[in-house]
Amino acid sequence: MVYADASFWNAQSEKMDMTSCIQPDSFDSFRIPNTSASVHQNGKHGLPGRLFIVEGIDGSGKSTQLSLLHKWLESKGYGVVFSEWNSSTLVKDTTKLGKKKKLLTPATFSAIHATDFADRTERSILPLLKAGAVVLCDRYAYTAFARDVARGMDCEWVRALYGFAVKPTVAFYFRVPLETAIGRLTGARDGFKYYEAGLDLGLSTDAEESFRLFQGRIINEYEKMIPEFGLTVIDATMPVEAQQAQVRQIVKTHLEDAKKLRTKQ
Amino acid sequence: MRQTYGKTLPGMRLENLTGKLIVIEGTDGAGRTTQINLIKPWLEELGHAVLDTGITRSRLAGDGIRRAKEGNNLGHVTQSLFYATDFIDRLENDIIPALRAGFIVLTDRYIYSLMARAIVRGMDASWIRSIYNVALKPDAVFYLRIGVDQLLPRVVFSGGFDYWESGMDLFQGHDMYDSFCSYQTILLKEFDHLAEEYKFEIVDASANAEDVCNHLKKKILAILKPDETQPAVSNPQAYLIETLMQKAVVNLLAKRNGQAQLSESNIDLPPFIPYSTEGNGKNAH
Repeated sequence: MVYADASFWNAQSEKMDMTSCIQPDSFDSFRIPNTSASVHQNGKHGLPGRLFIVEGIDGSGKSTQLSLLHKWLESKGYGVVFSEWNSSTLVKDTTKLGKKKKLLTPATFSAIHATDFADRTERSILPLLKAGAVVLCDRYAYTAFARDVARGMDCEWVRALYGFAVKPTVAFYFRVPLETAIGRLTGARDGFKYYEAGLDLGLSTDAEESFRLFQGRIINEYEKMIPEFGLTVIDATMPVEAQQAQVRQIVKTHLEDAKKLRTKQ
Repeated sequence: MRQTYGKTLPGMRLENLTGKLIVIEGTDGAGRTTQINLIKPWLEELGHAVLDTGITRSRLAGDGIRRAKEGNNLGHVTQSLFYATDFIDRLENDIIPALRAGFIVLTDRYIYSLMARAIVRGMDASWIRSIYNVALKPDAVFYLRIGVDQLLPRVVFSGGFDYWESGMDLFQGHDMYDSFCSYQTILLKEFDHLAEEYKFEIVDASANAEDVCNHLKKKILAILKPDETQPAVSNPQAYLIETLMQKAVVNLLAKRNGQAQLSESNIDLPPFIPYSTEGNGKNAH
């Protein structure tokens, strides 16, 4: 039985791929104060809730899959809460200012997103997991690891920055070839955004070309993280229904003893 | 060449940061701002360009932090990282460019205050250090040290207790006075740890402002004066390699521009003092 673990790193560090850029002894992980106490109180070294997260490049279809999972879990009576990347009300204005005025460097881009994630972790993810909720996240710390390192940030530094994060019960990675993702995106949106396309890096002045180069780097980072963090790979070129069936099958195996907060008991 | 505490940020060039980075640290009410307001005009009178900076003054995150502090829902991890964002923005956009332009950067608090605040709020000490290891090592850290009992009258006369300076986010349920005393006591303890680890110059801040200022001026002058007692070159091998590389670059540029190239004789090499293995040479350390 896998519980959401209050420490992102400790559980993973033993089976970590040593060929990756981090050395286990460089981990600066810590538990947010008052978390470890409750973890030990329930005697299972884990929080009672479950944390499922989806990762993948834009156009991989991960958000569609997560929303289908959300509906299914609700119908089963679980207390489901959804949290999206970059959505903290406390931090959002600063991120918006940075993006609008193009003030963000790779370092401040990294730091402000970690701040946003910290607020969501402290305010909602962690307390909800303690309460026994099933928490669903569209993008997680891995997004930062992929994007920030693709922007040239030090791999160890970014991982240490997120040392407070809760380790997910399952982290799904929706793997899709770059061209497929681009094909899905063109037509669906009007142009590529500045930071999303990595235009701040000056890889190319052409937005689509820059997007292609930047997302290519991000895919490389995701691929490295599959063994490093034990990401669960879903082939995102399959039909939506087939992917969802696979996701539900995997999630189901982690729901034994999970609280059905919606069901009257 | 200037150093960081371990890591560098993308695009961060550490060579030619010829200015001086001077840190004024101390707990709340120690008189940091008063001193900076005295020292800055004095340095300018001496002909130095001065940039003064401090916590929450970044263009990116300053307002965001102020807004977040107005509410009652700023968590400790979030708070620590918000301050880190503010610091990195100032490091990249204010401090480093100013040092490159030869300014004296006078900073009201530095990473040490930010680390101390995070640590007393239960953040892991090695975690917070790993974030600030991108900071530049300063030329000097003056730690204005003052005990809590000496601090209290200053607080009373400067308009009373502040929610954050009293650590009310930490000691909820206390009144401001009790909270202030508990908070400043643990903060002071943490500062004393940091003072030892990072070799702060401790300045007794309970003395009157003028005496503190005179003391600081003397110390700052010593930093600004080129050190004649020490040989300019501490690592001759590294220096030689650097010089030869510089010469190669200069020659390459000269060649491209059709100018005369440097010859061996017109490059200024300082006197070469070899390391002494016996430990009795004046350059052995």
